[in-house]
Amino acid sequence: SSQLSSLPLQILLYVNVIYYIFFFLATLAMIIYKSQVYSYPDDLLAPDLAVLFLMAILEVPRLYLGFKGNLTEAEVPLGLSLGLTVGSVVLCVYLLLWQTYVLWADVLLNAVLLSAYGLESGLKVTAIAAFVS
Amino acid sequence: PADTRDPAQPRVRSAPAPVTDVARLCVCDLLVARCDVNCCCDPDCSAEDFSLFTTCSVPVVTGDSQLCSQKAAVYSLDVEANPPERIFKLIDQVNPSIFCIHATNYEQALYLKSPEIPTPENFDQLLDKFGGATFSAEPDSWDLDTDTQNPPDANETSRYEYGVPVQTEDAFLRLPSPVVSSWCSDANPAGFLVNQATKCIRSVSVEKCGSIQALSMLFYINSSILAVPKSSQMVNITVQSIAVQSLNGMRTLLSSSDVLRLPMVLDELCINAVLGVNYHITHTDTGEIIEAAAAFVLGAISKEALSIEQSFEISFTQENTQPVPLSGNPGYVVGLPVRAGFQPQGYPFPAAFLNKHNQLTILQSTSTQDCLAAQGARAPVLFGYNMISGCKLRITAAMKCQPLAQTLLDVLKGQSFPEYVASFGNSQAQDVLDWVPITQLHLSEQADNVMISHTLQSSCQIPVSLGIEVKWTKYGSLVNPQARIVNVTATITTTTLKQLPSGRERIIPVTSSVVFTDISSPAEPGYKAWPTINIKLPFDFFYPFV
Repeated sequence: SSQLSSLPLQILLYVNVIYYIFFFLATLAMIIYKSQVYSYPDDLLAPDLAVLFLMAILEVPRLYLGFKGNLTEAEVPLGLSLGLTVGSVVLCVYLLLWQTYVLWADVLLNAVLLSAYGLESGLKVTAIAAFVS
Repeated sequence: PADTRDPAQPRVRSAPAPVTDVARLCVCDLLVARCDVNCCCDPDCSAEDFSLFTTCSVPVVTGDSQLCSQKAAVYSLDVEANPPERIFKLIDQVNPSIFCIHATNYEQALYLKSPEIPTPENFDQLLDKFGGATFSAEPDSWDLDTDTQNPPDANETSRYEYGVPVQTEDAFLRLPSPVVSSWCSDANPAGFLVNQATKCIRSVSVEKCGSIQALSMLFYINSSILAVPKSSQMVNITVQSIAVQSLNGMRTLLSSSDVLRLPMVLDELCINAVLGVNYHITHTDTGEIIEAAAAFVLGAISKEALSIEQSFEISFTQENTQPVPLSGNPGYVVGLPVRAGFQPQGYPFPAAFLNKHNQLTILQSTSTQDCLAAQGARAPVLFGYNMISGCKLRITAAMKCQPLAQTLLDVLKGQSFPEYVASFGNSQAQDVLDWVPITQLHLSEQADNVMISHTLQSSCQIPVSLGIEVKWTKYGSLVNPQARIVNVTATITTTTLKQLPSGRERIIPVTSSVVFTDISSPAEPGYKAWPTINIKLPFDFFYPFV
């Protein structure tokens, strides 16, 4: 077929947007909850919040480039998006393993996000291969 | 945390390491090397001890229950078995909540913080933080600036209040008093309206006569008193009188008290040394000091004396009032004398009561117990203290009735029995309504009915007992009730004196007593009225039908 854009990638990116909004709000709420209920000194709260906001800042160009690359069938934006995905994965692993308090809900949310990133990366690689060839 | 930086300092100790193993933690193990009763986790208990337990006081020992999965030690007693035995199980307790803590990367998260061990390096910093009377849990948010701790409330401190130290130019009005030991301490401030009298010992020597400041009059009248706290209005301390005490104790009042007499050495004696100071402070009723006077007692110190005793007193009087010692403010204080007085003969209504040297007194029992030989020893009636006293009267045939009755009346009532008693402890003489008249009753022992009369009957009645009953009530608020005297009744009981055959004598006891009765009515609960719902329709609600 003449259409090279990947439909599963598009669906996944779309779901990613919705899920990420939910993820960001839920993680922020849980950090606020943890800071009230548990002993959360300021010098440990700051890195956790910084990571969360950095992840949100990274997510916006990452998803935009993913959409654009997939729809215009261009490999450069998709490649940049893949690069930013690596950064997001690192931050997600931080929230999963190295946060001050890791709640069970944190584990679930981050695991789902990681698996979404992994699947997305795979689909992006396939799409780039299709566009290049 | 163990301090291993400097092994040369053996004094540095560390706090013991916390035990976190659930199987080894036991809260009920209080006795060392002995078995605690009903403590199933106690390692000192043997199987025989467990068989005697009835229940386990500590059934479960767990870590923080917020963790998703944690170890728990469960102790229970199996009462079915014979003998009963203890069951110990180590299980994994799971927290089903989705917000349970899966992991923490912060070690002190779930444990109490170990306190900092003081070392020579951090001692000053710890003292700053925790050395005061209070410290906050969040020291960073508190302003440690001491100047702003007591913000000057200009309206609040514009007058002296009870107990506030009387301020002078440089510091406070000093009233030297013994602190801990009997030696004088000059750092005791005099409190406003706190009448104090102190005695203390000061070490002196004739050689240092002129150099010891506390022996000189100047030390006590030097700085002037501030009229109100933190103001610039000064009140000078004037010298009211100077009395000179000689070495054998005799005191002479000097006629002129204008000249300041400073201590100096004369004939191996140190004269003009201050032995006592009596401050009299006059204040207004709004807490402002208007006058201050000091009466001195100067004495001489001999060469051998190593210390002298100084006595200090301070008393406060409100302006335009007589300095009468109050028995309470306003209610009577238990143990202080009941104030009484006379009404001067005034017409139509007297303006004030004379209560100089007038107290309600009763007969004081003496060792000889002889009524006629009692030299007028009387004891003041103290509020709240029931007293009974008496003496024995020896009657001979030769005694005449009427003089004997009059003598006994004098013995019982004293020379000037007052007519009125102050209702409150601080009743002023000019407030006529604050004084309660003493009701006098005469009872005859023989008759059944009370004859109220002011003269004794013709058939030789002699008074044998005086009973004063003071009825008082609680007045004022429930939280701080004040004692108020409502009624005072003095009852004289007389008995008939039968004529004795000559040569015989009779001894009859004469008693006087004071009884204080509390007639305050019990507090009744008061309830507020139920709130009513006030619903009214607007007047034009049914327009246009009405």
